[in-house]
Amino acid sequence: MTDTIPGRPITEISVTPPSYRHDPAARLRPINWNRITDEKDLEVWNRLTANFWLPEKVPLSNDIQAWQRMTPEERTLTMRVFTGLTMLDTVQATVGEICQIQDARTDHEEAVYTNIAFMQSVHARSYSSVFSTLTSTAEIDDAYRWAVGNELLQERCKKVLAHYYGDEPLKRKVASTLLSSLLLYAGFYLPLHFSVHATLTNTADMIRLILRDKAVHGYYSGYKYQRGLEKLDAAGRQEMQDFTFALLEELYELELAYSGELYEPLGLMEDVAVFVRYNANKALMNLGYPTRFTAEETEVNPEILAALSPGADENHDFFSGSGSSYVIGKAEDTSDDDWAF
Amino acid sequence: MDFTTAERVGIGARLDYHALNAQLNLFAPDGSIQFDKDREAAQAYFRQHVVPNSIRFESLEEKIAYLIDNDYYEEAFLRAYEWTFVKDLYRRAYAADHRFASFLGAFKYYTSYTLKTFDGTRYLETYTDRVVATALFLGRGDEKLATGLVDEIISGRFQPATPTFLNAGKKQRGELVSCFLLRVEDNLESIGRSVNSALQLSKRGGGVALLLTNLRETGAPIKQIENQASGVVPVMKILEDSFSYANQLGARQGAGAVYLHAHHPDILRFLDTKRENADEKIRIKTLSLGVVIPDVTFELARDNREMHLFSPYDVERVYGVPLSDLGVTEHYDELVANPKIRRTTISAREFFKTLAELQFESGYPYVLFEDTVNRDNPLPGWVNMSNLCSEILQVNTPSTFDEAIGYEQVGRDISCNLGSLNIFEAMASADFGATVETAVRGLTSVSDQSHIRAVPSVEAGNDASHAIGLGQMNLHGYLASQRIHYGSAEGVDFTDMYFYAVVYHAIRASNRLAIERGTTFEGFAGSAYADGTYFAKYTERAWEPATERVRGLFADAGIALPTQQDWRELQASVQEHGIYNAYLQAVPPTGSISYINNATASIHPVASKIEIRKEGKLGRVYFPAPHLDNDNLEYFEDAYQVGYEKIIDTYAAATQHVDQGLSCTLFFLDTATTRDINKAQIYAWRKGIKTLYYIRLRQPALEGTEIDACVGACTL
Repeated sequence: MTDTIPGRPITEISVTPPSYRHDPAARLRPINWNRITDEKDLEVWNRLTANFWLPEKVPLSNDIQAWQRMTPEERTLTMRVFTGLTMLDTVQATVGEICQIQDARTDHEEAVYTNIAFMQSVHARSYSSVFSTLTSTAEIDDAYRWAVGNELLQERCKKVLAHYYGDEPLKRKVASTLLSSLLLYAGFYLPLHFSVHATLTNTADMIRLILRDKAVHGYYSGYKYQRGLEKLDAAGRQEMQDFTFALLEELYELELAYSGELYEPLGLMEDVAVFVRYNANKALMNLGYPTRFTAEETEVNPEILAALSPGADENHDFFSGSGSSYVIGKAEDTSDDDWAF
Repeated sequence: MDFTTAERVGIGARLDYHALNAQLNLFAPDGSIQFDKDREAAQAYFRQHVVPNSIRFESLEEKIAYLIDNDYYEEAFLRAYEWTFVKDLYRRAYAADHRFASFLGAFKYYTSYTLKTFDGTRYLETYTDRVVATALFLGRGDEKLATGLVDEIISGRFQPATPTFLNAGKKQRGELVSCFLLRVEDNLESIGRSVNSALQLSKRGGGVALLLTNLRETGAPIKQIENQASGVVPVMKILEDSFSYANQLGARQGAGAVYLHAHHPDILRFLDTKRENADEKIRIKTLSLGVVIPDVTFELARDNREMHLFSPYDVERVYGVPLSDLGVTEHYDELVANPKIRRTTISAREFFKTLAELQFESGYPYVLFEDTVNRDNPLPGWVNMSNLCSEILQVNTPSTFDEAIGYEQVGRDISCNLGSLNIFEAMASADFGATVETAVRGLTSVSDQSHIRAVPSVEAGNDASHAIGLGQMNLHGYLASQRIHYGSAEGVDFTDMYFYAVVYHAIRASNRLAIERGTTFEGFAGSAYADGTYFAKYTERAWEPATERVRGLFADAGIALPTQQDWRELQASVQEHGIYNAYLQAVPPTGSISYINNATASIHPVASKIEIRKEGKLGRVYFPAPHLDNDNLEYFEDAYQVGYEKIIDTYAAATQHVDQGLSCTLFFLDTATTRDINKAQIYAWRKGIKTLYYIRLRQPALEGTEIDACVGACTL
């Protein structure tokens, strides 16, 4: 085959498997982690794999007592918030991450999305672990029925799905970043609030593991978006910025309506709104844009802000839970020098 | 009486003091740490929560009468004194005008320690009340001791451990000790009895460690039929479930640990229970693990050889001694050569690597260096396990049971009662020797007043040994307050000299107790104290500060360091009269009490300048390192920055003066590999460290995802 003669770069004579549907005749190449074109791919991959976890490791049953002390309204709110999060994670796992594979700029980026998609499924699964530990099947079924019937929740998902299935790669990225960095966070407010007040602390620990992942996911989509943007001319860039701010506005309005329905009865809405604005700014920063809201509008309660920090630097009490700071270690053999004694 | 009530706080309510406290973790606009916000948080907590929820009494008489009449206080410990003395003692304590130095200290005290009404809604004690009740209870009618204890505790110099401080004097209370170590032998009666003991002790709020080394391995014969035994993992599952069951009955989390010898054939199965992807049937979530490693394992790894694992079933049959008590290093070659002992092999270096992998994933297992511990053990017998915090190291003996799991022979199991000195405050004591002595007497009183009847082997062990564990905390806080870096030459020198002074006064106090009571602990005659060998290291050479700075610190504090002559005199008195306590010192990790006492935990470096603390009962709160201010930040390098060598050097300096162990946590950044952890373990073993506690990891946020304003996240 003349195509494979040495000298021509492999990337010029072959494609990655997702391109098959555009060109079935093209030669396929396997992913090569020994040739990295964007160091960020490896850095993010390493971070994601080190952070791998499963909900089974969290002793959720230690929260049963706390759950039983909560009022029916508090329980309903919790279940709905978590079902809402499950919905978004399902969207993200089955469509949001997968649909970005076709737009990948590097081979390794494709692999990173598969990893992220898997973890999104783990997240979706983990809320079910909370439910099965704390509540009854009837209550769980009610919550899922609520999710299917809730107009605002459906609309939030469909707003982003429309772009995921659209024709524009960069719009997919914007939608995905906004989902990871904005939409999910209104749901996270509740467990963070819990963790500050010593309620459902093990569940909150699990949520912090999820947060630890989401911070990386949103960041990565945003980073890749900015790389894509560099290829556009000024007009194209302006169009994308306009699109981003318009979509942000739509999602922000939806978010306030959705959160209001949930949080208003408990008097938490004002704080949640601030938190949503704070994360809207975060999402824009991930995409490389200036913030949309002023510092005054985004002054999150300090206890929530401090709890949000994604670094694993908390010093937990081992006897009450497993904490959220352990990672899969890097194995390295010792050498004879290490044992010289 | 004033019974004003505060409203129930729902989850929707925000609390000012939480918000103020959280600002500790956020920089002020000028980049400084907002210590004043934490003080405001403490004030707000008292104003908004403590004061409205406290019951006030017209007089002390009314209060005490109410507490006794309503079954809150025991009557006997108060009636052991003249009323005028009791009244004066309260007055003396209140004159000290105690204030909590941090929000977390106050919050922790009122959440977990103070006496509350039975419905749990209102407070019946202040901190000072708790101190006086504890002192009166431990004093047992001895006015001098009770007064001494009030002075030591209210000044912060001495802090009894949680179970003592929490329970002393209360009528509805748990045990004064909460740390138990149980042997398990290789028969179903012993296993069944151990599960029962674990339940009983958990119900009483205890943490229980169990020794699994002697259980026959997976596939060992039962009644001579091969391939029958299922090994240690199913026993671990039973224990884990037992602890979580007892947890639901009691207020405090049930907690358990299991220890296994590195040369037990199930060692890798034991470790794999903590794998992230372990099957649910074998996954261990809340049980703590510890591994006992002898010298020979290090030697095998050095030579990159296989390590042999020995069937405890066969060892017991061949030697008549269980594996846990044999001493594997001494008998290693013999065990390998004996065809009657079944064995399997794994690579020694792979074993260490696996150990480190698991420590990355879970923080476990703890490590106990078997031969180091036993070389330093002054009592006859073999130390084969430790406890939940890896600082208790005492000898034990097995029990035997009849078919109905009644005791045929009551062995000796271990309980330990702890209390710690605050080094900063102790260095300011007007009489350092008296501070140590009062602490030893207070702890001895806990031993005297503890009778764990549900577990006869524990009761017998305590009656025989009167063992106590005097600990230390606030080393880092003290060093930083003197502008000395943790782990520096001066820091290590100070640690050495401080513990040198403590051990002298502790033994002297125990000797005085033996003289007063005319009795020693059981087995004194066979100990290194009785034959004098224990004292050789102090009488044969002079221990003096290596640095001028440290010499000056002790001189300025007016603390005379014991001379060789002092030691010779003490030795003579000990050899003549004995000592009362089989064990005297153990340095625990001091979680809760160091917050209340405003001390940096134990003798390790701070985990963070502003610590983020997450606990079951507290939620997420922030704690400023004691003695930290915006001017001395550089002396508060955190444990991750300090690195394992300096921590181990510091612990090694202390270890040589401590008869039991010291909980030693090592800290790594996530950039470390298993090799780094192995190197730290080798270094610790070579330096004579006895046990290693948790491995803690810190993973900084990925660049671009951090919260900008956080003190913790920026690791300033």
